[in-house]
Amino acid sequence: MTQPTARIILICSGKGGVGKTTLTANLGIALARLGERTVVLDADFGLRNLDLLLGLENRIVYTAQEVLAGSCRLEQALVKHKLEPNLSLMPAGNPRMLEWLTPEDMKTVANLVAERADYVLIDCPAGVEQGFKNAAAACREAIVITTPEMSAVRDADRVIGLLNSQGIQPVQLVLNRVRPKMVASQEMLSVDDVTDILALPLLGLVVEDEQVIVSTNKGEPLTLNGSPSPAGRAYQNVARRLRGESVPMVDPSKERRGLRARLLSKLRKTGNF
Amino acid sequence: MAAELIPAPGGCPGHLLRLPPLEAAADLLEEVRYGLAGAAPLQGRLTLESGDWPLDTGMLRQLIALARQGGLELVAVRGRCRTSLVAAAALGLESGWSAEEESNDEGGRGSEGGPLLVHHGTLRSGDHLQSDGSVLLLGDVNPGARISADGHVLVWGRLRGVAHAGRRGDGAARIVALQLQPLQLRIAGAVARGPEEKPPPGLAEEARLVEGEIQIEAASPLWPLSG
Repeated sequence: MTQPTARIILICSGKGGVGKTTLTANLGIALARLGERTVVLDADFGLRNLDLLLGLENRIVYTAQEVLAGSCRLEQALVKHKLEPNLSLMPAGNPRMLEWLTPEDMKTVANLVAERADYVLIDCPAGVEQGFKNAAAACREAIVITTPEMSAVRDADRVIGLLNSQGIQPVQLVLNRVRPKMVASQEMLSVDDVTDILALPLLGLVVEDEQVIVSTNKGEPLTLNGSPSPAGRAYQNVARRLRGESVPMVDPSKERRGLRARLLSKLRKTGNF
Repeated sequence: MAAELIPAPGGCPGHLLRLPPLEAAADLLEEVRYGLAGAAPLQGRLTLESGDWPLDTGMLRQLIALARQGGLELVAVRGRCRTSLVAAAALGLESGWSAEEESNDEGGRGSEGGPLLVHHGTLRSGDHLQSDGSVLLLGDVNPGARISADGHVLVWGRLRGVAHAGRRGDGAARIVALQLQPLQLRIAGAVARGPEEKPPPGLAEEARLVEGEIQIEAASPLWPLSG
């Protein structure tokens, strides 16, 4: 088997509920919209819901389990997104698979899908146990996502240590659910507080955005229709930075101001005021 | 008795400079100067065999300068005194126990004389670095990580996790860090919570046991250990 050239990226966090699956879905769509052949691989066998977020739940016929068993072809298991043909989903098998799945199996599946993709995004389960180890064995680089809370940062730190010990490079950081107002009033860890501990290159900042919940429930990721919502734009920027484009990072807690203040400063800059 | 310069012996990098026994020399620098001047001129790398001499970083710097004047580059220190080895490691020199020391019985050394462990890299949450001697960490100790040693704990970085020095009851053990902001400190049997307020920026601090309680003060300028 030839070594595929696709970038196989693990999306992990340690703690649950910080936005791994949401990032995977949105990043997958955003990359696909930029013309990259992208496969999202659900490694969260225990609690799979990547298919739900992408609105593909009812199209799943075969899963990674059948691919590994050889009872179906790879193309049969890959579910193409209905609106974004560049994106396909490799669904997770049933939760019982956890009992016998090995890191080698995960590697096999990832390398198989990588043959026909530019990007493979692996949605990692929470925790640092077997499920994480399986997923980490298959990837070459990683994105760690965390929220500005002590417990999430602590767990992310642990995960980064484990990724480092496995020689996975590069590991980049996405900071999710930042509330600019709370950061400004020092009720929440700031971006600097987090990067100070984790010491990783920052790939993106996503502000708290109610639209994320709406889109999750609809099964239509924010990036799908180029949503102008703050979180949607942040995910698009993450995708562009991942491809190597330089997109300036704006710290929302320093930038976000009222409309009037922004207008005034714009007028001042142009000299009309 | 002067220091002895031995050209290119086996078992160590470059030439060997053996210091006189601790009790046989009054002014060490003078003896070294004399020893270097009396020997045939040599070039290249030099290993210092420091024996029982407790050398601090200041002293080592002077020795490095002396060697350089003679065309030699000091790259490694071998000795029987932990202070010297810690200081050497802090200056980026290769450091290790004297060859004969390693064959000595373990019991004679006690908690004072374990090997110095030098670790590069940050300890992240969940990591636990342990050493039978002293430990020098070139990196941070993040919250949730632990570092413990039978001897001193030296952190060339930020200490924000849990540190335990003198695990086997050595009350003279210290914890030193460039930024001391720990969750918890332990020295021998004593335990203390870390200070609530942030440490003063740019000031290395050390914790040690004073009458059974852990106290934090500014670290000696001759960091890590001046004896």
